Amino acid sequence: MKMTKLMGTAAALAMLGSGLAQAQTALEGGQEVDMVLLPKFLGILVFDQANEGAQEAHAELGNPGELLFVGPTPENSVAGQIEIMTTSATQGQGAVMLSNNAGDQIAPSAKAAQDAGTKVVTWDSPIPSGEGEDVFVAQVDFGSIGTVMADMAHSILGGSGQMAVLSATPDAANQNAWIASMQDALKGDKYSGIELVDIVYGDDQAEVSYNRALALVDKYPDLGVIMSPTTVGIQASAKAMQDEGLCDQVKVSGLGLPAEMVSYTMNGCAPEFALWDFRDLGYLTYYTAYGMATGQLTGELGESFTAGRMGDYTIEEDPGRPGSKRILMGPFTVYNKDNVEAAAQ
Amino acid sequence: MTRLFLRVSPQALRITGLLFVLCLVVLFFSTQVDNYLNGRLFNRISSSVAIMALIATGQTIVILTRNIDLSVGSVVGFTAFATGSLVTAYPDMGPVPLVLFAMVCGAGFGCINGALVAYARVPSIIVTLATMALFRSALVEFSDAKSITSGSLPQWLVSFPNTKLLTIGQFQLRAGFAVAVVVVVLVHILLSRFRPARRFYAVGSSPEAAEMAGINTRATVFAAFVLAGALAGLAGFMFLARFGNITVVAGLGFELKSVAASVVGGVNIFGGSGTVIGAFLGAILVDLIDTSLVRWQLVSEFWREAVLGALILLSVTVDTLLMRRLFRLRQAQEHEAAKPKPAAAGKVTKEGAA
Repeated sequence: MKMTKLMGTAAALAMLGSGLAQAQTALEGGQEVDMVLLPKFLGILVFDQANEGAQEAHAELGNPGELLFVGPTPENSVAGQIEIMTTSATQGQGAVMLSNNAGDQIAPSAKAAQDAGTKVVTWDSPIPSGEGEDVFVAQVDFGSIGTVMADMAHSILGGSGQMAVLSATPDAANQNAWIASMQDALKGDKYSGIELVDIVYGDDQAEVSYNRALALVDKYPDLGVIMSPTTVGIQASAKAMQDEGLCDQVKVSGLGLPAEMVSYTMNGCAPEFALWDFRDLGYLTYYTAYGMATGQLTGELGESFTAGRMGDYTIEEDPGRPGSKRILMGPFTVYNKDNVEAAAQ
Repeated sequence: MTRLFLRVSPQALRITGLLFVLCLVVLFFSTQVDNYLNGRLFNRISSSVAIMALIATGQTIVILTRNIDLSVGSVVGFTAFATGSLVTAYPDMGPVPLVLFAMVCGAGFGCINGALVAYARVPSIIVTLATMALFRSALVEFSDAKSITSGSLPQWLVSFPNTKLLTIGQFQLRAGFAVAVVVVVLVHILLSRFRPARRFYAVGSSPEAAEMAGINTRATVFAAFVLAGALAGLAGFMFLARFGNITVVAGLGFELKSVAASVVGGVNIFGGSGTVIGAFLGAILVDLIDTSLVRWQLVSEFWREAVLGALILLSVTVDTLLMRRLFRLRQAQEHEAAKPKPAAAGKVTKEGAA
């Protein structure tokens, strides 16, 4: 993460040096532009938090336009997202802020929206090919999530043991990228004692995740940790281990919400987990989209701007998706029994 | 051997067949998966099937009347969430009012389905396809993007499904499973012994004949949906107790699983025949295959659904073929039995021609 941030800064400096580049753009508020915040689907706490952050930025910038929070229902996520994208373009929305759950299937409608003059800013989960996307606001460097997860497994297992992954859906772009980066990280010497035995999918549903977690324990009697990079999966796994009295044997870790995980962290079922702030992510995404929709940002590589209370950010190339652009938010917090109770309030 | 076949009822035969298939599946996986045959397997399957057994029971009642209820998954999700909100707001509420609330809430949704199907005469597949989406959207709206977490639920509720009533070695009889078994057996006895409940079969076998026999077919169909709703509501309560963490996706896909459980369990999709015991065994079979496939090294994540689908198709096909052959055999036997008396045989032919 440090490396890429340095590179981003270096690129910005180089442009400054060449005398062409914009200095830090301070976004001017008060311009009218209608925007749409489009989550994967409605009814999950983290997306609601992102909306709170976006609303905060909306008020702060004094945009007289409208900020709509619309999303599909869970069973209709892919088709619903494509439909909302198309409708937004027809309505002439200034920008769509998308947490993509439709893989590359959304690219044609996103491209059509761009052609109609609507900016497409992704957040949380990008369009894998980068097609139809202006810029991706990354919560954290996808490569560093892998290292953080590997580190948590390392500390829980005490250096060696078996680990299994319980993910969301098999085609979730962000989870797949994080798992791949963890597999990369595990190749390092430090983690040579850790064996990744299986990857299963709980479809982000409590009951599927719960049953999958138990099946993992049955399948691998020596399993030491279940790593779940999704807030639904980690909670369901922890509950399953607690219900079956397996917490001494199998620990749970991954990405979770402090409010949902606090009891499991305190009783030792999930000693460590990580997450970033979804409110901040919504806030930064709004600033980016507002800047682009009002034409104050061009979306060029190396362009820098100030995002209100969060400080300065730079558009850089996405190392995970060559040819695509991203803005890196970072960092994230690792929670354990020392800090989880305060965060859960 | 054939004598025995003829003496027992087709439904009893079907249940025996299902038990046989269950044993086969268990035996097969025990050769494929290490550490498979033990009490743990029983505990896993029994706890996880408890919820689906209740839903499949309701689904069976609806299918018996030649209808289908695709909204049960959404009803389970909504009642789980609503019950969770209620108990979060009033933590002192006891089990009885809470269960009643869940069942009344589910029955309320069942009333909507039932009224539209029975009285407005809209086909049930259309009605419940629409209400599946409507009830789910109602949940999204009601939940206000919040979720219920197990931390906010009272301890008695969270620990209820895993309370051990009886322990024999590794085998545990847990409260959640016991509730499901009691409900299934109760509904089974009602459906097979209780006169008003026989109407579900009558309406499903032949609505015209039922009408002529003085049965109020509309009220019967309505009642089937209300019962299915109430059972889905009870399942929602159990869902809340077991998983604790309820989001808007709770119960997603349960409608198809419950249809699968019923059909695998020998409930005729065209109505009129089937038992809830069969549906219960069907639910166990589907759950067993699903759980076992996860542990089977040979099948990758991406093929699991396909293998499950193929197994369901296979079991239903085999069942249909076997049953058809059996009926033919039985008919032939009856024919044979009727033969010695030429006059009676003639009568049979006449009736057949008429």
